[in-house]
Amino acid sequence: MIVDVVFWFLAVLAVFSAWRVFRTDSMVRAAYWLLISFVGVGFIMVMLKAEFLGVILILMMGGEMTIMAVFMVMFMMNPAGLNPMIMVHQNRAAMAAGFGSFGLLSAVGLFARFPASVVPPRAQATAELGTELLGDSMLVFQTAGVTLLAAMIGAVALVSVRGRFGRADEGSDAPEQQPAAAAAAAPGPTVSDATAAAEPAPDVAGEDMPADHAHGDAR
Amino acid sequence: MVAEALSTAGLAIAVVAVLLGGTYIAAVLDVVFTRLTMRIAVRPLAAAALPLRRAAQLALQRRTLTERPDAGTWALAPAVLGALAAVSLAVVPLTGTVIAVKADTGIVVFAAAMALVVVAVYLQGWSPNSPLSLVAAYRFVAEGLSYEIPFAVVLIGTALPARSLALVPIVTSQEHLWNVVRQPLGLPIYLVTVLALGFWGPLSLPEGQDVAGGTSVELSGVPRLLWRVAQLNVLVAVSAMGAAVFLGGWLGPWLPGGVWMALKTLFLLALLVASRQYFARVRTESFVVVAWTILTPLALVDVFMAGIQAMVAAR
Amino acid sequence: MVVRPLLARLAKKAPVPVFLIAGIGGDEIADRLRLDERLQVMDSPRPAMVLMIVGRLTSGLNGAALQVHDQMAEPRAVVRWSPSRLDASAAIFPHLVAAEAAAALGRAAVAARDDLLAGRLPSSPPLLPDVDPNPWRGVGPWGQGGAGMTGGVPYGRPLPERAKDRDGLQLDQLLVRVGPFMPALPEGLTLEVKLQGDVIQDVVVGENPFLEEAGSESRQEVSPALVAPADLAPFLAALRVPVAIAELELVRVRHHLRWLGHTLRIHGLTALGRRVLALSARVHLGGAGARGALATADVAELRRSLERNFTLAWVTRGIGRLSADQLAALDGGPVARAAGVERDERLADPAYLALGFEPVTRTRGDALARWRLRLHEAERSLRLAEIAGDGMTTVTGAVEGPTGPLGRGLAPSSRLLPLLPDLLTGLDWGDAVSTLLSLDLDLREAALTTPGSGAVPAWAW
Repeated sequence: MIVDVVFWFLAVLAVFSAWRVFRTDSMVRAAYWLLISFVGVGFIMVMLKAEFLGVILILMMGGEMTIMAVFMVMFMMNPAGLNPMIMVHQNRAAMAAGFGSFGLLSAVGLFARFPASVVPPRAQATAELGTELLGDSMLVFQTAGVTLLAAMIGAVALVSVRGRFGRADEGSDAPEQQPAAAAAAAPGPTVSDATAAAEPAPDVAGEDMPADHAHGDAR
Repeated sequence: MVAEALSTAGLAIAVVAVLLGGTYIAAVLDVVFTRLTMRIAVRPLAAAALPLRRAAQLALQRRTLTERPDAGTWALAPAVLGALAAVSLAVVPLTGTVIAVKADTGIVVFAAAMALVVVAVYLQGWSPNSPLSLVAAYRFVAEGLSYEIPFAVVLIGTALPARSLALVPIVTSQEHLWNVVRQPLGLPIYLVTVLALGFWGPLSLPEGQDVAGGTSVELSGVPRLLWRVAQLNVLVAVSAMGAAVFLGGWLGPWLPGGVWMALKTLFLLALLVASRQYFARVRTESFVVVAWTILTPLALVDVFMAGIQAMVAAR
Repeated sequence: MVVRPLLARLAKKAPVPVFLIAGIGGDEIADRLRLDERLQVMDSPRPAMVLMIVGRLTSGLNGAALQVHDQMAEPRAVVRWSPSRLDASAAIFPHLVAAEAAAALGRAAVAARDDLLAGRLPSSPPLLPDVDPNPWRGVGPWGQGGAGMTGGVPYGRPLPERAKDRDGLQLDQLLVRVGPFMPALPEGLTLEVKLQGDVIQDVVVGENPFLEEAGSESRQEVSPALVAPADLAPFLAALRVPVAIAELELVRVRHHLRWLGHTLRIHGLTALGRRVLALSARVHLGGAGARGALATADVAELRRSLERNFTLAWVTRGIGRLSADQLAALDGGPVARAAGVERDERLADPAYLALGFEPVTRTRGDALARWRLRLHEAERSLRLAEIAGDGMTTVTGAVEGPTGPLGRGLAPSSRLLPLLPDLLTGLDWGDAVSTLLSLDLDLREAALTTPGSGAVPAWAW
């Protein structure tokens, strides 16, 4: 009985929060509503005795939703993502696709004939999952995974420190940003020198931004 | 079924009691270590009362209203952080038999709960509509994403000798030798990464003095108290987990299991709380570089060594 | 409610959360308040209960002080002490509690807190009008404050601009004004910063608030003894008359230790910083050797323990280097000496040379070199004070102050302020704060010689 109650609660939570993703008008909230939906699905997977998969889903989605929120705040012209904005576009096509796939998957779930075997309570779900997925190639996959990780870290390390316009820890600026006085003394790579000479110094006084942000100023 | 429900309720209360009690002890330890570093007299009674007095003062202060914050997530953030700490502590075996949630993948549950700490801190920094607090939240995201791989890998390393992801087997696998001895890289990496989890001491990037308090710059009154309590909750939970998987949990001669667990947890908690006195706060860039290029490979070395040991033991 | 009095009784012995504002003549007292165990100085005004205004507020600081006051959470009170009769704070803060003497400030703050919690003292009401800084309601096509898709101030929040970051991506850029009372910055420094994330893209240094407006009444009271920071007074006197070497060197030690205490605190080592601040209070100007006075051994021990602290070295290494022409503009001082420029006014004084004085220099020129240099200089100065006895300086006209050479043109802080935009652009926030701290800027000192300030330059007094 309890199992049923919990399942229905989680299922409703997952669908409700997924719906809120599209109806909310805040970017960061949209990302975290999606996280809540994933958490609901993750807990349902735990109830299906796929504990490892469910928990790993929650683990990964936490980091991913945060990155999504940060990227949205970075790129959208919305001050810190706090202004309300319409989070959807191409509504009709999206709704058609969404409802269509939901209907299709529900049909599969309801009408397909799944095997009726009950998972024994003492089952070693994680071990069996590993054996089923990777079988004899476990070591190969582990090595490949570590190699990929090393490649990703190496690529980022190569690119980020020696940024496009100079070393990050030496306070590098894009050529347009370098104040005229420091242009000669800045330790940038030779590539940017030609562009630095051509660009004029930025006109700071020209900006007409309302500077006061009464509660935002830190005094 | 009533007995089951009662025992579940009892366990939940036990977890909350341990969490709050540990938080109080952590606060007192912080006062003691601060006074020792300042070279002024430590008056034990005054030190024991000080966290309570500060809490009472905060409770009498009104909370801050900033201009057009996201009120819902701002109120939710300390609750999320505290709940994650409670979930983490719930999977830790407090004695040989007392464990609130017997999860088959207990260590992964712990890692998942701690991975969501980034969410709580980011919400706390983003919601008040304040520039310094948002900057601090960004710094924590950089720090938070960097600690996750070494943290998770080192925990998996402790699961290898036990051939199970559940915590009770992990503790009992240390009957002959604690993991801190046979996996020497494990505990140091774990301690560094959990300092990032609790944003304490050298890794207090989101709460630094250079951003005037960062994520707590707009906090006053009860929300500030709750945030501070949630932060210490996290430290208590990670100390308990560290004691379980690295220091042998409840195992030990003469004393009952619960006492050993408490002593080991307090030892790690003291280490973590004291780190604030001696280590300066790291630079974001330096820490991210170190986490990815030094801690991650060391964590992988640690797990390979653990794997080889497990393979040899199986022969 | 029965809970409130209980909580109030518990809270009585808790340290009072205060926010410090140091005006003219208040810098030394503010540092002493940090050592008071009954007070807890907060980094942000929000959690503070008592606003402590120490010294006289200039017209440039009044507006900011009002904003800080309104940012504090209720219940709140204002306590002030000022050395000057011409203090206008009573007019600005109508519910002010004035302390009779500087030494009574701590007690006054505790009494204010107790009265607030007991209800005897009403909380200070907001002093600024509750107006939207960016009026937006009803403006724009949908009443949301915007002008079309991308203009105006939608929902009261100014839209960020877009600019390239150092990898060439077009990212949002936020204009933030970090004001005169931010604890991590030198007192009185206002910066208008364009931030992308936490990377500074552009910096504009605001006006020095310690300069009085032309024609203001308090202008007549501008005297060097009041405007200059407390640590500079003997050095300014040494410009005209011979002064005891011991006194000069002891004040230098005190300045360096106060600076170090503040820097350590901002770097996260709060307890260690407070210990160093306590050491600085032990500098006994009656002559080294009095009981309880700071001894060379104390500073030597401090220096050994700090130089062993590898995290402190790690977070300051490579930060804030100046280029060669920037160093040339400085004309000496600890910042230049940390980069290898061996210039020290004390070398021109035979009295110092007779004591065996040698300037301390380092080669790296970064923040690490600067704090190590100042600590080393403090140790050497203590030793000099011990062996100097009654010796007096023999050269007037130019003297080596704790921040650099005084008496030749601009004060050291005045020379450093114009370099800030070049130095800070491109750094992330933590590094920028470390750089600013390592430069040991003092805007009161800069106010002495700001070009065009109209104030009589200090060297002519």
